[in-house]
Amino acid sequence: MDEAVRTRGLVKSFGSQLAVAGVDLVVPKGSFAGLVGPNGAGKTTTLSMATGLLRPDAGTITVAGFDVWADPVNVKSRIGVLPEGLRLFERLSGRELLLYNGQLRGIPRAEVERRAGELLGVMDLTEAQDKLVVDYSTGMRKKIGLAAALLHNPGVLFLDEPFEGVDPVSANTLVEVLRRYTASGSTVIFSSHVMDLVERLCDWVSVMSRGQIVAQGPVEEVRQGRSLNEAFLELVGARGHGDGEGLSWLGSR
Amino acid sequence: MIGLFVRLKLRLIVGNLRGDLVRQLGFGFSLLAAVICASFGFLSFSLVRLVPHDLAVDLVVMQFTAFTIAWIVVPLLAFGLDETLDPGRLSLFPLTTRQLATGLFAASATGVWPLASLVALFGAVAGLATGPGGVLLGLVAVPLQFALCLVTSRLVTTALSGALRSRRGRDLLGVAAVLVVVLTQLPNLLLRDGLPADPLEAVAAPAAVLRWAPPGMAAHAIADGGLTGLLELATVAATVLLLGWLWILALRAALVRPDTTGQAAAVRRSRLGRLLPEGPLGAVLAKELRYARREPRGRVIWFTAIAVSGILLFTLRSPQGWQGLPLAVGPVAIAAGMIGIQAANVFGIDGRSLWMNAVAFGRPRDLRTDLAGRQLATTVIGVPLLTVVAVAAGALAGNVVWAIPAALVAWGVLGVSLGVGALLSVSMPYTYPERMNAFSSAAPGQGGQAFVGSFGALLGTGLLVLPLLLPVLFGMLWVSALAVPYGLAVAWGGRRVASQVGFRRLPELIAAVSRPA
Repeated sequence: MDEAVRTRGLVKSFGSQLAVAGVDLVVPKGSFAGLVGPNGAGKTTTLSMATGLLRPDAGTITVAGFDVWADPVNVKSRIGVLPEGLRLFERLSGRELLLYNGQLRGIPRAEVERRAGELLGVMDLTEAQDKLVVDYSTGMRKKIGLAAALLHNPGVLFLDEPFEGVDPVSANTLVEVLRRYTASGSTVIFSSHVMDLVERLCDWVSVMSRGQIVAQGPVEEVRQGRSLNEAFLELVGARGHGDGEGLSWLGSR
Repeated sequence: MIGLFVRLKLRLIVGNLRGDLVRQLGFGFSLLAAVICASFGFLSFSLVRLVPHDLAVDLVVMQFTAFTIAWIVVPLLAFGLDETLDPGRLSLFPLTTRQLATGLFAASATGVWPLASLVALFGAVAGLATGPGGVLLGLVAVPLQFALCLVTSRLVTTALSGALRSRRGRDLLGVAAVLVVVLTQLPNLLLRDGLPADPLEAVAAPAAVLRWAPPGMAAHAIADGGLTGLLELATVAATVLLLGWLWILALRAALVRPDTTGQAAAVRRSRLGRLLPEGPLGAVLAKELRYARREPRGRVIWFTAIAVSGILLFTLRSPQGWQGLPLAVGPVAIAAGMIGIQAANVFGIDGRSLWMNAVAFGRPRDLRTDLAGRQLATTVIGVPLLTVVAVAAGALAGNVVWAIPAALVAWGVLGVSLGVGALLSVSMPYTYPERMNAFSSAAPGQGGQAFVGSFGALLGTGLLVLPLLLPVLFGMLWVSALAVPYGLAVAWGGRRVASQVGFRRLPELIAAVSRPA
């Protein structure tokens, strides 16, 4: 199996809090992979380290066979990133943001303009292309962020919560673009809370809980006949409190 | 309801301090400052007793007016809108407008600084009252004046709250903050040509007008202590009630006003991009030039640089001050240093979006190009600006030809400061606060880095330009010909070393400029 992303013994702690405790993440090449886990499981920390934005305390990460921290030149030209929090250059317009990104990566201006025009069209952002990013809605920001991440045609795409706070229309656009992208043999890895979405889109899933991978493999294998949501709740050891004692006053009066 | 709002305000003050040593220390300092201000204010109000009574009244009239203005301006500049001041946060609770108004009024009267103002204002009773009538009226007049300050300040923030919640409004407010700082220099500039012949006249003339405004009436009433004073206090009270009523109207309107943040205008697609070189360098240059224009912080930085150069030019031109060649070269060199200081934290202005550069940079060379683009952007705006200042300085100093060495030296100083700034940007990076205010330049907990950064920039630039500046100031004008190559060399060396250091520290660099602020 050709691996697009492989981490070995990845560890990161913030102060006394161990955020990632020995993660061995595997993502096969050409897969549409989901990284799922409850809040605070270490998904964002893992993705930040895999993309070279956060220095790990221990462990190694390879992307497409290259070590992220030893060989940044080869890795950074092959990955596209959409981190959490949508931190973009707020005072550029959407179009300027794409042009800046493309030229920063050394793509000739004419080619950047062509690709940016097409991406803006596909993302349904042509009308808003000359507005400042600071005035974009959440869905528009995710779309322009994804467009910026795709501009240099990376082999592996890392997306942190790409569908969070996105309206159904924009989400559909994002899904279509990503499906087309993985169909050509490129790899997508994205983190999410929404099990239904992961079940529908992904062919590979990694489940994180408390800084560790608790299950990993093809979606069929991980869910074993159950729905992914059931499998997930069981894996992370979640116990519902919603039907217990208390709250007797709540309800129609 | 009043008690609830007061407790809410106190809870917010305490909650803000929990667990954060730096904030606790900051609060300790501001507590100390408030106590000092309160005692000093009380003292200065009461000390007017030592001057002739007429002058004392005039002085207090001026002080009361200044107090009211300060109450309008400072909350706007320092805090924008804090939680207890933003009616939008409370609009979902089942409160009548009157309850909301009294509650917000009580909340804004609670706190260290309102208390300090009240104490200071009571000094006026000690300073002005001449009999039991004056004291009695004073005990009413001071709370009335205090209420006037609060209500006026509330009215203004509420009326502006719609604008303050939109991006454009907040952008404008940030720039306005600098304007106010510059305006505080105005009296200094006006008085520089010597005080008016009769200083008493300078106080009496405006006081004669301001005496009829509500704060002036409150001050006058204390001094009068009789029937006139009583009438004046009635007028002040009526004014407070009127402003309070207007405030309730504004509050009612603010609660139902639609949020207009989403309706944004498109920016013009400039031809700028076509003129710039293709590739990463041109991309960074274009981005930086756009940021200097669109980001309020960028506008503030350049506006400050222009204002400070102008103020320097005029203040140094005094009969006892600098003359001749130093007057031509000195202010221009200082202006160049001022522009250069902003380069001491170049990644701070990118802040949380710096990751976008980081995921594209695979080798130190990429970071060097980035730094070069930023230096170039500062140069593109700075050099014409410094040239204008140099010509002005030459003309003021009496010999326009001096503009040539002045401009050359200034360009050199700019280059040196850019080189020093590149080094400090990678070694002392810090986050700019998200909401701009006139009193803090770094995110909580990074004040140290900000101080070391700016101070290091001043010190480093100052030391490195001495071999250039001293000979020129002593008349060896030919040295100024070396200034530009020298500046270019330092800028080049600075960004070369900085890119090596910075590339290795990229994750730490991102973390340092992305702190929650």
